Amino acid sequence: MTRRGFLRITGAGLAGASLPWLAGCGGGSGSSGASAGGREWKRFSGMTINFISENTAPTSAIAANLTPFKKLTGISVTIQQLELTSLAQRVALDFGSHSGEYQVIYADPYQVMAPLHDRFTDLKEFMEDSSLPSVPKGTGDFIPTQLDAAGHFGDRLLALPYDAPTMIWCYRKDLFEKYHNRMQEDLGFDPIPSDSSTWEQYYRIAKWFNDNQDDVPYGAGHQAKQHDALMCDFSNVLWAYGGDYFEKGQKVGKLGTTDPGPSTLDSPEAIEAAKLYKKLIEIAHPGSTSWDWNDLGEAFGAEECAMCPEWHEFAAAWEVGSLKGNIGYARLPKGPARSANHYGGTGIAVNRYASEDQQKAAWLFVVWATSPEAQLMDLKSSVGGGTPTRTSVYQMPEVKHNKNPLTNMPNIVTAPAVLEAWEPQNIGLRPKIPSWNQCDTIIYSQVSQMLTAGKNPEDAMRDAKIEIDQAVKGVPSAI
Amino acid sequence: MMLPALVILTAISILPLFYIIWMSLNNLTLLGGTGISSHWTGLGNWGLMFTDPGVWAGWLAMVIYFIATVGLEIILGLVAALVIHEVVWGKNLALSLILIPMFIAPVIVGLLGRFLVNPTYGLYAWVLRESGIYGGNILGGSVSAFVAVVLMDVWEWTPLVALITLAGLVSIQPQILEAAKVDGASYLERLRHIVLPSIAGIIVALLIRSMDALRYFDIIWQATNGGPANATKIIPLRLYESAFRFFHLGYAATIGLLMLAVSILVANLFTGILRQRGLLR
Repeated sequence: MTRRGFLRITGAGLAGASLPWLAGCGGGSGSSGASAGGREWKRFSGMTINFISENTAPTSAIAANLTPFKKLTGISVTIQQLELTSLAQRVALDFGSHSGEYQVIYADPYQVMAPLHDRFTDLKEFMEDSSLPSVPKGTGDFIPTQLDAAGHFGDRLLALPYDAPTMIWCYRKDLFEKYHNRMQEDLGFDPIPSDSSTWEQYYRIAKWFNDNQDDVPYGAGHQAKQHDALMCDFSNVLWAYGGDYFEKGQKVGKLGTTDPGPSTLDSPEAIEAAKLYKKLIEIAHPGSTSWDWNDLGEAFGAEECAMCPEWHEFAAAWEVGSLKGNIGYARLPKGPARSANHYGGTGIAVNRYASEDQQKAAWLFVVWATSPEAQLMDLKSSVGGGTPTRTSVYQMPEVKHNKNPLTNMPNIVTAPAVLEAWEPQNIGLRPKIPSWNQCDTIIYSQVSQMLTAGKNPEDAMRDAKIEIDQAVKGVPSAI
Repeated sequence: MMLPALVILTAISILPLFYIIWMSLNNLTLLGGTGISSHWTGLGNWGLMFTDPGVWAGWLAMVIYFIATVGLEIILGLVAALVIHEVVWGKNLALSLILIPMFIAPVIVGLLGRFLVNPTYGLYAWVLRESGIYGGNILGGSVSAFVAVVLMDVWEWTPLVALITLAGLVSIQPQILEAAKVDGASYLERLRHIVLPSIAGIIVALLIRSMDALRYFDIIWQATNGGPANATKIIPLRLYESAFRFFHLGYAATIGLLMLAVSILVANLFTGILRQRGLLR
């Protein structure tokens, strides 16, 4: 057995070859033996690599604290942050020209990795190279569903999980407590979100808030703008009702495929889900049909609604504002099939068109940026960091102690809800297929027509199925 | 003598045009394979485009949008120019203030518009709601969202029409207007018989705005993303998505060529008018 293999299996990689930078950045978890790996980190000293990322909190946190990486490796990193659609476009053009301008890529599993999967280097190549540092604590430390969804395409490992936004039920704990008894009496069930809460109950709670109080204008808010956000919001209900985009949808979401088979959006379960979703939006805040996730986050923070399904990382903004301590977080309600919580995490990957040395330098950055200590640094970042994608970070004493009372890691307040949401039976995974961008556009366009132009749910789902089947075959269309 | 100019013209204009034509005859995509993959489809993309309901819906929205924006900009630009022309004191200040929107990037106009009509904190949304004029979600309804993006474009580009028209107004000799006034011509009569025929610049403004409106993108992309229910999804948005979101470059080239053909037709229409009036040599 090689040293690397041994370290990976025992989970001791962190202490051995990996992170001599810890002392420098004050990670403080007591890792040692750092000097053992010094030379392998310094091999590409003086090089500059480019990291292209969506403008997300974890990247802002990394960008604000690159010094430890520079000290450790001597490599300079230039970070370019863009809106996701622009990022996908730039990366596609970089791949198309084989220029390898961006060595490290924020590989959104659906909009970047799936359509361009052949252009990323299989990270196993670096993991098997004994001259390069290993992944601290091994890949087994990553939350398993995230490693599959954000990292794998087929049997290749193309990215390491980097961020993990997941949709959960965010609600005004103070209002739910204030009106608890009245709601329970009127509705006939305990309104506090729990494992037994259903989407039907969610609807009734929203309606109750609309009709019976004045603290907030509406009970529920949604991200139902004709945008990727609408597909994300709708999918929670679709999966909860037993529907899916393809027959083996969750497997397709987990590992990805180039041939998902025919769409199943015309199934009775999908149509039922669409009917319920339409019903939810009809009583939701009227602004919902023009809100994406950012607008909804702002509206909830501005006390426009009592609850919403939202990406959990918005907690970082809410928990430092006027609502601090007044928000509860729970797994999303269940439908007849299950509770489904849309996972929107992303990994970082290496561009195969970069030179061999640049790829290896990029690998060093990938290992560093996804290490437990970098994730802890993210969590504490004053610019609003992300949420850890590794189980070991949640076990760190300073993270555990931060959950209650909340101090300097606002995102960790959602940990109980998201850890439950990431369980295999609760996670919601959209299909990882090359034509996903086209399918995504078909879905949110059809659902938008259902919500705002009077199209009935049956027709919307059937039309979406027909168009998706064409898209999967590679037929171009202007949706 | 002409050779360098011809070489540059060929490099920046003619070669790309032929390349796009070649693209439209191929199934050129970034999906699958390890680079840009292509295979010859002949007129396949063209056949697909003419039978694609999405393309027709995009063109329909485009035509309505084109008529609404260009029409309103011409009327309001003309009125603004006439008013400024009559101003005696503070003309330069008034002109400077009116021109400000034109210098703002369209993408910022889209963002600004989106903030102003946001149902949570938007000033315009609040004013409309409180005055009882419109209480709904402006960007959440098909008609209201369409009207909103039209008005955003009108706000930004009316100053351009006003500026070009004003240049024409300045060139009218004051003696002619004074003579007409002495002869008893009313303001409307002077406008109809002297002012309007003298400001041929308005046709140039119409031409420039028409070309621009046909490739309008930024404001809608920022404000509505083409929604709701595809109500604001004009053809340039569909082209962009085909190329840079779905990576069907060959199909996008086909849509682009049709847009180019329409642009040339519209340009010819206006140059024809200018020629007819003896304003183009």
